[in-house]
Amino acid sequence: MKIENAKAQMRKGVLELCILAILKNGDAYTSEILSGLKSAEMIVVEGTIYPLLTRLKNAGLLTYRWEESTSGPPRKYYVLTENGGMFLKELDKTWINLVNAVNQIISKKPTNNE
Amino acid sequence: MNKTININLGGFFFHIDETAYLKLKRYLESISKSLSDDPQGKNEIIADIEARISELLSEKITDARQVVNDQDIEDIIKIMGQPEDYADVDDTFAEKSYSYQSTSTSTKKLFRDGEDKFLGGVASGLAHYLDVDTIWVRLGLLALFIFGGFGFLLYIILWILLPEAKTTAEKLQMEGTPVNIDNIERKIREEFNNVSENLKDAANKASDKIKEGASEISEKMNRTFSGKATKNNGLQDLINTIATIIQSIFKIIGKIIGIFIIFISAAVILSLIIGGFSIGSLEWLQVDGNFVHYPPFFYDSVMPNWLLMTFGFLFIGIPFLMLFILGLRMLSSNVKKLNKAASLTLLGIWLISLLGFIFTGLDYATSHASYGEIVEKTPIPVVANDTLILKMKNDDSIFYRSNLRRSSHKEEVEINGKKITYSNYVKVDIKKSSTNENYVIVTKSSKEKNKTNAKENAKTIAYHYKLEDKTLVLDAFYISEIKNLWKDEVIEITVFLTEKSIIYLDNSTKNFLYDVENEGDIYDKDMANHHFIITESSLKCTDCESIETKNLEKSNTGNEVSF
Repeated sequence: MKIENAKAQMRKGVLELCILAILKNGDAYTSEILSGLKSAEMIVVEGTIYPLLTRLKNAGLLTYRWEESTSGPPRKYYVLTENGGMFLKELDKTWINLVNAVNQIISKKPTNNE
Repeated sequence: MNKTININLGGFFFHIDETAYLKLKRYLESISKSLSDDPQGKNEIIADIEARISELLSEKITDARQVVNDQDIEDIIKIMGQPEDYADVDDTFAEKSYSYQSTSTSTKKLFRDGEDKFLGGVASGLAHYLDVDTIWVRLGLLALFIFGGFGFLLYIILWILLPEAKTTAEKLQMEGTPVNIDNIERKIREEFNNVSENLKDAANKASDKIKEGASEISEKMNRTFSGKATKNNGLQDLINTIATIIQSIFKIIGKIIGIFIIFISAAVILSLIIGGFSIGSLEWLQVDGNFVHYPPFFYDSVMPNWLLMTFGFLFIGIPFLMLFILGLRMLSSNVKKLNKAASLTLLGIWLISLLGFIFTGLDYATSHASYGEIVEKTPIPVVANDTLILKMKNDDSIFYRSNLRRSSHKEEVEINGKKITYSNYVKVDIKKSSTNENYVIVTKSSKEKNKTNAKENAKTIAYHYKLEDKTLVLDAFYISEIKNLWKDEVIEITVFLTEKSIIYLDNSTKNFLYDVENEGDIYDKDMANHHFIITESSLKCTDCESIETKNLEKSNTGNEVSF
């Protein structure tokens, strides 16, 4: 088992949460979402994001609108839907619980019973 | 110097090197392949990706006159990731049943499964491919191994030819889409769509280019050359497209042919192995040889039978083995080619067995080249005016014949554990003796490479007869060495009797008399059960009224009918 694969799998699990969280702070077009994720080192290559965005859109969690751009063709701006907001809240809760749970396990000191 | 192409990528305009263009095109195509099969979603994703690539490129290309080159595309691919990275692996966690359709790039491929292996992971790989539990494949292979060793051979071949699934993409492909009618249909439709798209594309391009060329010609007569060149390009594209269509049609036909080839060659190899194995075991268990009929050249060959059998096995087996591998390769591009050394070795072995056969064949042919015979003369002490009775007798303890008759057919029989040839090829003739003696002449003849050896062979033929009181009892058979089974050996017996001797032909001689000259030209078969007297010139029947009258009656009735 390669460490890179394990890391990628971990990140992938929370990628949806991250995308929804970025969109919660305001509508964004693909490059903005990408730069947000990349600066946080959530993704290594950009390709990963596209099927995911489409899937979230198909699930009705987000939608998009076209917006004119000053420097080139119109851009696709992604917008969080109401459903997406609720979904994000659920994921948020799960995430906090998960972090707590994982931290608890990691920081647990060995018991002296044995 | 490179040719450049103008492209519109995500709404931006780019000059791009031809090589870089091809690279980018391939990249987008392979992404498209690695994406889900839903065409709507696919097109949308591709559009998004194109938009992003154009954004990245426009950041790089500041001057509009600058040309996008290979390196730029390489950099883009580095940022965007390899086609596998686009596969939505998350789906495999979320909705497994759905993931099979969405993530698998094409139909399944045959790999060895390195994670679930007993020896080489062939069985588990096959199990993934056939979508059954590994244990059944293992049991099947084991059964094939026990009944003839075919399983073992198959395992080794597959072990050599199949690559191990190493990357995630390969593992997914290994588990991939189950092969069923739906998926096959989908696959064919996909291929068809691809082809029609390509065709439309190329047709458009071709017509554009032809138009271009035509307008250029009309505009600038002196530049017809370049016009022609572009026209040629258009034609080239059209030809390429037609080639693509034909290719994909052949691909589908090829798969079907591949299945047939695999099936047929596997059946041949299997039957060869089972055949060889069972013949071998029959020999080994010393079961009666009548089960096995070897071809003629197996007898009296310089080479031992087992070597000839091995040659035969290899001579037929190797081409079918190659066919088998070819079939596998037609079915799955994943199957490796045999490497040069292996195929050369196989070719060498095949040639050796071919030469072995040619040699044996020539040897067989020459072993029939010369004819040799042995003549034995024995007097018969019968006084004139006595009646000599002629009888034929078989030895049923050697070989039982319900219907005793002359035949060039030969049988393999065993006497005291030794195989020998048994035959009823005995010809009997009766003639007037030129001396005052009665005698029998037995001629044994055989064939071999030269006359001396042929005579030696003839000498080994065992044939007996004896005189019991006034009855001459002739064996209705001879026995000979097994190696001479196919040597056209024959026994010719001529009984020479002095004039006025009387001979009675027993019923048993009926089918052994051969062209006996007699007055009245009675057929050999009709001569049995009658007395004959030796006349000055030949034989004369003394009690054949019935035959003649019968013959007359026959001809009479024949006449009546015809009138």
